[in-house]
Amino acid sequence: MKRRELIRAGVLTGAAAALRPTLSMAQNTPQSSELTPAQSGVDASKDLAATGWKPLFLGEHQNETLIVLSDLIIPATDTPGAKEALVNRYIDLVLAAETHENQRAFLNSLGYLDGESIRRYKAAFRYLSREDQDDLLHALAYPRGGSEWTGEAANDPGHTHFEQLKQRIGIAYYSSQIGTRELGWDGAFAHGSYEGCNHSEGNHK
Amino acid sequence: MSWNFIQQDPLQQTYDVVVVGSGATGGWAAKQLAEAGLKVALLEAGRAVSPTEFTEHTPAYKLKYRDHSPEIMRTRPIQKQCYACMEYNYEWFVNDLENPYSTPPDKPFTWQRLRVLGGRSLVWGRQSYRLSDNDFKAASRDGYGDDWPISYAELAPYYDIVERYVGISGAAEGNEMLPDGQFLPPMKMSCGEVLLRERVKAKFGHTVTIGRAAVLTQNHNGRSACHYCGPCERGCRTFSYFSSPFTTVADAQNSGNCTLITNAVVSHVNMDNGQNKASGVTYVDRLTRQVKEVGGKAVILCAQALESTRILLNSSTREYSNGLANSSGALGHYLMDHVVGGGASGHLPDMKILPNANEPQRPNGIYIPRFRNTPSSKKHSQFIRGYGYQGEGGAEFNFGAEGYGTSFKGAVKEGVYSIGLGAFGESLARWNNYIEIDSNLKDAWGIPALRIVMAHGDNEAALMDDAAAQAAEMLEAAGAKDIKVQARVEMPGMAIHELGTARMGNDPKRFVLNAFNQTHDVKNLFVMDGASFVSSACQNPTLTMMAITVRACTHLIDRFHKGEV
Repeated sequence: MKRRELIRAGVLTGAAAALRPTLSMAQNTPQSSELTPAQSGVDASKDLAATGWKPLFLGEHQNETLIVLSDLIIPATDTPGAKEALVNRYIDLVLAAETHENQRAFLNSLGYLDGESIRRYKAAFRYLSREDQDDLLHALAYPRGGSEWTGEAANDPGHTHFEQLKQRIGIAYYSSQIGTRELGWDGAFAHGSYEGCNHSEGNHK
Repeated sequence: MSWNFIQQDPLQQTYDVVVVGSGATGGWAAKQLAEAGLKVALLEAGRAVSPTEFTEHTPAYKLKYRDHSPEIMRTRPIQKQCYACMEYNYEWFVNDLENPYSTPPDKPFTWQRLRVLGGRSLVWGRQSYRLSDNDFKAASRDGYGDDWPISYAELAPYYDIVERYVGISGAAEGNEMLPDGQFLPPMKMSCGEVLLRERVKAKFGHTVTIGRAAVLTQNHNGRSACHYCGPCERGCRTFSYFSSPFTTVADAQNSGNCTLITNAVVSHVNMDNGQNKASGVTYVDRLTRQVKEVGGKAVILCAQALESTRILLNSSTREYSNGLANSSGALGHYLMDHVVGGGASGHLPDMKILPNANEPQRPNGIYIPRFRNTPSSKKHSQFIRGYGYQGEGGAEFNFGAEGYGTSFKGAVKEGVYSIGLGAFGESLARWNNYIEIDSNLKDAWGIPALRIVMAHGDNEAALMDDAAAQAAEMLEAAGAKDIKVQARVEMPGMAIHELGTARMGNDPKRFVLNAFNQTHDVKNLFVMDGASFVSSACQNPTLTMMAITVRACTHLIDRFHKGEV
């Protein structure tokens, strides 16, 4: 067995317990109450994929808009995108537990997107053509500079709303099992010891 | 309540020593005293803890809210300010609704704490640094405050004992402000960190070293070397990081001389007023709310600086009307917490290393020891004392990449190479930073709660301004771009290094404790935790707290042997 596999096996079977049994025995009094769900071993990773899922917080139009928006921000490429990762369902779950203030802020941002869409294209965002959706998102996705003539700062609520939505979508995607795989994680918690820099002095790249 | 080996009612006997608190210092006190043959009752306000509840290997996607739980805010709005209070482990932290304290409206203080066997040693940052005589004798050097009643030479042998047992990985540097210790092999530095080390040494003469961490780099004392999974604050099933339940407390229990009593919320010390001696403590059972007593020939408070002093303030008698062992009037005063909020961060665009989710996660960073107001540097015009930096450099996923769509998705994985330094500055001891009992506030067990009055001053603000500018200069020397500085003074408590309030000193009129952590007023009463600190220095304090505890226990064991207790 390779060193890496040894370490991994050790971690999974509790090599330390074998090394020093008296220690792990000494405090071996698990109590069922007063544990977080994670500490009691609850696995919630399949909850959002349940058949018959319904939003807890979002309305149907808001939910559909979020699905469309999230899949534009993190599309499927050679790896799955936000829609497949059920980003909308996670955001809905978190929003349902959020403060009213944070709930309102999210709905404001989502509403801003539809408002701009209707102002520019006379239709809500999710009904636009892909080309119009892209045009609108490009207008919002990058911050506006101020006046190069007077130095006056730009008033840029559109970009702020976009960033609020994008941040929620990013967290939802990259914290999902699909997103974790997208970042290349192989599912193991030990990969040997940290090797650090092996370059000669003055030659770090 | 649980106890090992002793089947009789643990409250029906008188112990040699009652130790209150099972964290870094209480664990050491219990181990040293029990292994010396003394009968010890170790009281912990929280429950027992088991490796089966560790979650360091649980991926976020298995959590309902993937560690973004808004629910924690309901019961732990203050604890959530701590980086280590997570959806994984929040039950280890106190429920803020059950454990209130007050502050003046213009002086916020964040008090982040655990009530569970091991206390904060379960989640601590594990950075372990010695103080030097530049700290112990700081008042003699610059005229501010008081010297400690102990010198580096007196404490050094106890640093040795603690380091050899705990296992501190680190590199010897021969730095005048940061004495070297008994180190396990150091962890490695990243390329960006080595680059910073080389450039900073060449341009400024300062030392950049790998953090000295209570995390094992080789098997040690029956515990396994670190497997670099990363999030120590969720637990460590290989016991590679130091936490008291699986080391000192376990040793104490295995000696057969230590009775562990969990869920014991201590309200006050009991006194035999005729003899002016402590006779034990009274506690409230956390679960049943029953009031109980446990007797001892000596009482040691290791409850955490503010909690230990709170117990003394709540133990007033006719003889000690403003708090037990407080004839000096100093009890509660000189509260300190390292000032944080100064530093800088940037990018090293020349580093072509991509972020890698499978790379071993090093649970440690880099450290820059204090270089201001040292014996070999000139006196700074704007402030006294100084600060040290913790930092880190490495490739990270770029979740903040601009734009959207395929390009955004690609940019996240391409990542950025970041490097940053954050300062921990000395917090000056001031009479006006203090704790007292809030007569209108009680915790869920009916025990009077604290009012905490603390603000950092001009010296701390000047330290953070300088720390920001110096960090930017050092990062610039390493070739960093997009440098952002931060020169804030975060609210006290944020460093989670509360110190003082029962400080040690030779003069009974001005100090609560003597040089062996014994109260001047009551000879069998001791405070062996951060409350005893005279000055804060700028180094992370836990290693020094543990060394002081071992030194004080050695002295106490000697007195027991001489029949003086």
